[in-house]
Amino acid sequence: MRDHHMNQHATMPALAVDGLAVLHGERALVRDISFAIPAGGVLTLLGESGSGKSLLAQAIMGNLPPSLRCAGRVAIGGESTDAADQRSRHAGWGRRLALLPQEPWLALDPTMKVRAQVAETYELVSQPAAGRWTDGEQAQANARTRAGRALASLGLQDAAHKYPFMISGGMAQRVAFLATHAAGAPLMIIDEPTKGLDADRRGEVLALLQAAQARGMSLLCITHDIWLARALGGQLAVMRDGGLIEQGDAARVLAAPRRDYTRLLLAADPAGWPAGAGTGSESAAESAAEYAAESATGSAAAASAATVPAAEPRLIVTIDGIAKSFGRQVLFTGVDARIAAGEIVAVSGPSGSGKTTFGNIVLGLLKPDAGFVTRAAGLAPTAFQKIQQDPGAAFAPRISLRQSLRDLVKLHRLDWALLDDMLARMRLAPALLDRLPHQVSGGELQRIALARVLLMKPALIFADEPTSRLDPVTQQDVFALLTQHVRDSGCALLLVTHDEDIVRSVARRRIVLENSGAAAGAQPGG
Amino acid sequence: MTTMHSLSSDDFLDLASARRRPNRAQLAGILLLVVIALFALFGPWLVDIDPARQQLERFLEAPSLAHPLGFDQLGRSMLARLAHGTQLSLALALVSVLSAALPGTLLGLLAAWRGGWFERVLAAIADAVLALPGLLLVLLLAAFAPGGFWPLYVGISLALWVEYFRVVRAASRILLASPHVEAARLLGFGPVHIVRRHLLPELLPRLFTLMRFGFAGAVLAMSALGFVGVGLQPPTPELGVMMIEMLPYYGEAPWLVGAPVLLLFLTLLGLLLLSPERDA
Repeated sequence: MRDHHMNQHATMPALAVDGLAVLHGERALVRDISFAIPAGGVLTLLGESGSGKSLLAQAIMGNLPPSLRCAGRVAIGGESTDAADQRSRHAGWGRRLALLPQEPWLALDPTMKVRAQVAETYELVSQPAAGRWTDGEQAQANARTRAGRALASLGLQDAAHKYPFMISGGMAQRVAFLATHAAGAPLMIIDEPTKGLDADRRGEVLALLQAAQARGMSLLCITHDIWLARALGGQLAVMRDGGLIEQGDAARVLAAPRRDYTRLLLAADPAGWPAGAGTGSESAAESAAEYAAESATGSAAAASAATVPAAEPRLIVTIDGIAKSFGRQVLFTGVDARIAAGEIVAVSGPSGSGKTTFGNIVLGLLKPDAGFVTRAAGLAPTAFQKIQQDPGAAFAPRISLRQSLRDLVKLHRLDWALLDDMLARMRLAPALLDRLPHQVSGGELQRIALARVLLMKPALIFADEPTSRLDPVTQQDVFALLTQHVRDSGCALLLVTHDEDIVRSVARRRIVLENSGAAAGAQPGG
Repeated sequence: MTTMHSLSSDDFLDLASARRRPNRAQLAGILLLVVIALFALFGPWLVDIDPARQQLERFLEAPSLAHPLGFDQLGRSMLARLAHGTQLSLALALVSVLSAALPGTLLGLLAAWRGGWFERVLAAIADAVLALPGLLLVLLLAAFAPGGFWPLYVGISLALWVEYFRVVRAASRILLASPHVEAARLLGFGPVHIVRRHLLPELLPRLFTLMRFGFAGAVLAMSALGFVGVGLQPPTPELGVMMIEMLPYYGEAPWLVGAPVLLLFLTLLGLLLLSPERDA
């Protein structure tokens, strides 16, 4: 059925968009978008958060929130419709075009086993000529078999009888892919497929998309991951403030961008950051030499830590042989480390090795099962601070930011002028503070969180994936501010990130956590 | 919803302006409750007829201009009885709901905060209370002081606090584990601040929902208890007692049973309208 369908329109572009705009009242949030994806082709849409990429995807799907309307034309498989007539495209959902949403593990039904979710699409959405008139039970059995086969083809046979929370983020992504694709849609819109995934899982996603493309599927891939754009090839379009500013062959655009903004965007990719940028004064060569992670594995220790470089300034915290396990799952044992003022130390290790837990133990939020964390004498109880992964969750959700910060200033009898000054240095408009946390963008919020933490004059900041939810331009911005202020204030930074490029560029040395065996329960999303 | 994350939030929000101003439904709710509250407070004084005074010759007299709700089966002024009944019922319900909500909330917060054995003991007690039918509890208490007001009040509170405890404990546990509370702790904030800024804003809408239904439940429980012969007894003008007392005369004088039912209905409607739809 699918092949037939695709042959029929072989000469037609899989998706053609002409003069598409998304309007909120009189304001155009997305304007004048035109492109065409040939059958079996791929178009990668690159842009920072808030540039309108996801809105564009929703407009093509015909799934915009009611307060928005769109204009222009959308042609799917050669069948052209008025963009404003969103309903006309609903009939094709799953069969002619499909959307793989952001963070697809959140889109899976947590109460349903994996195979059942995929089978549901086979049974209810896809309508194979033979299956249409069979009775319900047979159709169900048929769908189950096909779902099982599809899962096996992606190496997911072991996951078939698991619930979504029992499988890893990469596996969840493949399951969601199957569930959305099961009805044979020849065109797939993929929204931020690598958001929040570590390098291994990004590789899995790429392999999945390339395999789909090899089978003749057309892809519209929305991302801010330049690595993915490069690997997918095909066409590339760069979006900014709701418009396409550059468009062309991916290899050409990436190699020789014509617009300044595209260059800026490409430069913001952590892979392009200079090594040791965060350490400031030292030359790149010097920091690269010092950087090498020493793996001095102790006799009983499965995890290891780097030794402290000689002649460091004041020691902030000493970590002696700490161990932690949750139930039967041992995270790490016998970790030793010393962190001195002004150091930037990365914590690395595979997903589920307890990087966040380690940081929380250092902060004193958790107690280790064994070992000690000793703070330097004379530090205030609030001397250890944390930057959270999701800035949106780091502020009291129903209280205006100004109120939150005012409470803090009052509690510690600080000077509000100090905060104003800090906000100015973070390039934040004071008016932002009158909003609730969810009304402020992730990048701004993370900078407010940084200002809040710096206000406390911390001796150590634990940054837990501080930018994994931000786009590259914002990410670079936040990291620049973070490292600059860490340097200025002389506090130590303990950094957890899945991005090796960032570690290489920012950190001087690292603490390596290794899984010491024992049932490693996979956590979606790393 | 997840696909909406990267939309710029500013584009859709009328910042703050939409938050505080009550909408039309809420205004209607407020109006309704204010009228009922005024009736409960000043009604008995305005009507100025003894609700227990019997004029047997006027029994089941139909409503008239002078007596808008007519007379009941013993020739007592229905309006006077309704005014007194409203006052008594609403006050009783309010007091029992509040006296269940306050300790329930406090214990729930404490249990979530302290955790460990303290939480387990409280949870076990709560489960035990839940296993015991609330009416039975009131019946036991009423055995000590039949016909009184206090066993009712204490019994209903004892039966109801568990709901608040469980809801508050469950929600607080999640909130206390959230990144924003973690951040607040690291920043040096104490329990009072965390409860006030981080927990209560999330808990209050849920508590309010529980209290609205608890309010209705308390009024109905009182009438049910009156029916089985404990608690308030027929001469007392109380909404639930009146409903049961008037039920036999439904055929001849439907307005008699209709009046307390309508009043209770309007009270609950007002409370329901009050809720912001998004938080309900």
